[in-house]
Amino acid sequence: MLKTVRLLFSKTGRARFISHLDLNRTMTRAVRRAGIPLWYTEGFNRHPYLTFPAPLSLGYEGLAEIMEIRLEEDMPSDELVSKLQAVMPEGLCVFEAFEAQRKAGELKSAAYTLHFTCPADPVRELLAQPSIFVEKFSKKKVLKTVDIAPAFAGAVVEDVENGCKMTVTLPCGGEGTVNPSLFVTALKQKLGEDIPCHVVRTALFDPDGCPFR
Amino acid sequence: MALDMEHLLLQVQKPARYSGGELGSVMKDKKDVFIRFAFCFPDLYEVGMSHLGMKILYGLYNREEDTWCERVFAPDADMEQKMRENDIPLFGLESRDPIKDFDFIGFTLQYEMCYTTLLHMLDLAKVPLLSAERDEQYPLVIAGGPCACNPEPLADFIDIFILGEGEEVNIELNNLYREHKKRGYVKRDFLLDAAKIEGVYVPSLYDVTYLSDGRIEAITPRDTAPKKVRKRIIKDLDKAYYPETFVVPFTDIVHDRAMSEIFRGCIRGCRFCQAGFIYRPVREKSPETIDRQSHALCQSTGYEEFSLTSLSTSDYSRLEQLLPQLLEWAEKEQVNISLPSLRVDGFSEELAKRLNVLRRSGLTFAPEAGTQRLRDAINKNLTETEILETARRAFSGGWNAVKLYFMNGLPTETKEDIRGIAELGHKVVDEFYHLSDRPRGKGVTVSISVSCFVPKPFTPFQWEPQDTMEQLQEKQKYLLSEIKTRKISLSWHDAKVSFLEAVLARGDRRLGAVLLEAFRRGFNLDAWSEHFDFDAWMDIFDSLGLDPAFYANRRREKDEVFPWDHLDYGVSKAFLWKENQKAHESHTTPNCREHCSGCGAACFKGGICVEDGQTVVQ
Repeated sequence: MLKTVRLLFSKTGRARFISHLDLNRTMTRAVRRAGIPLWYTEGFNRHPYLTFPAPLSLGYEGLAEIMEIRLEEDMPSDELVSKLQAVMPEGLCVFEAFEAQRKAGELKSAAYTLHFTCPADPVRELLAQPSIFVEKFSKKKVLKTVDIAPAFAGAVVEDVENGCKMTVTLPCGGEGTVNPSLFVTALKQKLGEDIPCHVVRTALFDPDGCPFR
Repeated sequence: MALDMEHLLLQVQKPARYSGGELGSVMKDKKDVFIRFAFCFPDLYEVGMSHLGMKILYGLYNREEDTWCERVFAPDADMEQKMRENDIPLFGLESRDPIKDFDFIGFTLQYEMCYTTLLHMLDLAKVPLLSAERDEQYPLVIAGGPCACNPEPLADFIDIFILGEGEEVNIELNNLYREHKKRGYVKRDFLLDAAKIEGVYVPSLYDVTYLSDGRIEAITPRDTAPKKVRKRIIKDLDKAYYPETFVVPFTDIVHDRAMSEIFRGCIRGCRFCQAGFIYRPVREKSPETIDRQSHALCQSTGYEEFSLTSLSTSDYSRLEQLLPQLLEWAEKEQVNISLPSLRVDGFSEELAKRLNVLRRSGLTFAPEAGTQRLRDAINKNLTETEILETARRAFSGGWNAVKLYFMNGLPTETKEDIRGIAELGHKVVDEFYHLSDRPRGKGVTVSISVSCFVPKPFTPFQWEPQDTMEQLQEKQKYLLSEIKTRKISLSWHDAKVSFLEAVLARGDRRLGAVLLEAFRRGFNLDAWSEHFDFDAWMDIFDSLGLDPAFYANRRREKDEVFPWDHLDYGVSKAFLWKENQKAHESHTTPNCREHCSGCGAACFKGGICVEDGQTVVQ
């Protein structure tokens, strides 16, 4: 069995407009440019093994995102990182490589910061409510109403220049995912207007609350 | 509150089309930049980013240290709405600066139906549409590409047209502009100077007069403008600039692969084909150059596929030498080679297998006409035997689908020719069922696609009337009635679009008013069927008292002055007329490699016209 290598990378600035599907293509080409011997799946439609255990929504920035690849032959982590970094487009930065320790399914949660261009008060008021109902599409594409208050119970809000900032850790992974955009939707419902919000995913965690590796 | 760009991009579909920042995109420090160039493709990102010419000129301009060339595409409807709401003028993808503050706005004209998009983009850039209304505070608006061979419908809007291949003349123009800008740019002085460069056509320096029946009386140059403007070519493609890297898009585009140009021009001379005449003479790159450039491109972009592009790839004289050379590294590096417009019959079994020819491109033929008589008339040398033999070979190899391309409305076409299309389709179907080793358990599919013939400038058919829309629709109906099996699927182009193409392709300056009115009525992206409104177009012609049939459906006299007669693409009008006459007698003309027919392109002293007799005559 080939080793699975995980790479930590950031996706910021202009790169946050790369969709998940496009990121796959972009990274595959980057690995090819770097001359790194990717392992290709066997069969009629051979394709390189390259996956993302935690897809990032279009428009979000990510500071420690994870990409998994398999290599034809071993390569020292430092070399892997420096070769890849040399061929990355603007806004994508690979900074660490290591052998996978946890299974991809053991990814548990993710930390986010949300920058709102509105004062902290309405955000705090919304968080203080016992339940926050928003509509979302389930996996089966059925519209259903969910209460996001429990997921956002630990959120912390502070005033910053030009608005406010919320920090929150939300479920992310095989056992369920809460997208921070649900809170943005709830805030829009409450205020009756679109509040531009800039979302940054800062970390991914395992069930023990340690950085996922 | 006006949204900033970052938030705006979150509210539109596929924002990676507007974000910039792709690998290979060029960023420069504005304080080191003296000339800003906006390279505009008048269509959506997905289409424009697939265009090779843009990739070449983007690299070429950005090699100039003091010049920054950026890319601009037509925004999709949702993005345009957001830009207008937030008062964001059309911007360059790299710097996000408004292009109205640039020195040049350059358009490439690939098809007639993009003209309204071009005007729309100028408006979105907040630049006056009419050349005469743009003074020194606005950018110069220039345009090139195949449609520049009859640019007259756009003459009111464009300051400078560039005729022919751009690698040298664009830089000459840029150098001239640099001099002018240093000593204080005055538009009129610059245009007069620019018109002295070969390949540069300044339409405002020519007066066009008309006869009472609407035909052109004369086209007269003013001041020091040349009587005829000759297109430019690159003589030696091995020495010409070719980019070592491409901008690699994040999002999916129409042709998402590296492209290696293997030759320019075409030896064939199919009489309906404009490209076959305006890109003469044929000039090939050496296998060594192609190999080096292809490999460098794949390595710098990470593309998993590259295509060998040209007007007719199987006509590359050293294909048998080139392909094994390319395969040597391509197979090792998991790179696929795609060969568009290829004849499969010329290949050994082994090479065809290694190239995966069939899986890549499917099996596609363009017989264009249904009978040998009409194929001779249009000088398309593809025989029924060749088609059927190749189909048979593909079927034995496990293939069960074939695509056939035809045209309706070709000069001299009769009912018999239309029936011939159906018959050829049936013969391909029969070929499949006569084969003992055909793929079992599968039926065969023959897809016949029929477009409508559009007579184009600088072709032997430039004198010919286009069939009326009613005639074309009648022919389509007749063809459908002649198809007797469900193994054949038939599709055709909209005759209305082809009619408008025919009007614009051979149009004169009076059509500028039509385009302006089309713009005023909000026409945009007419190349996309969901945007195209034929009745509204006809209403414009009506309201301006212009008859579109005058341009599309009229047979021209031998000596009529054409709107493009002051433009010189090497191929002479006398040669084209001779070819026209031969078409009416169903006589073919040998290709350039077999025999030189003296078309006139030898005036460029390049390529196949000057190679020694051994290579010219096989």
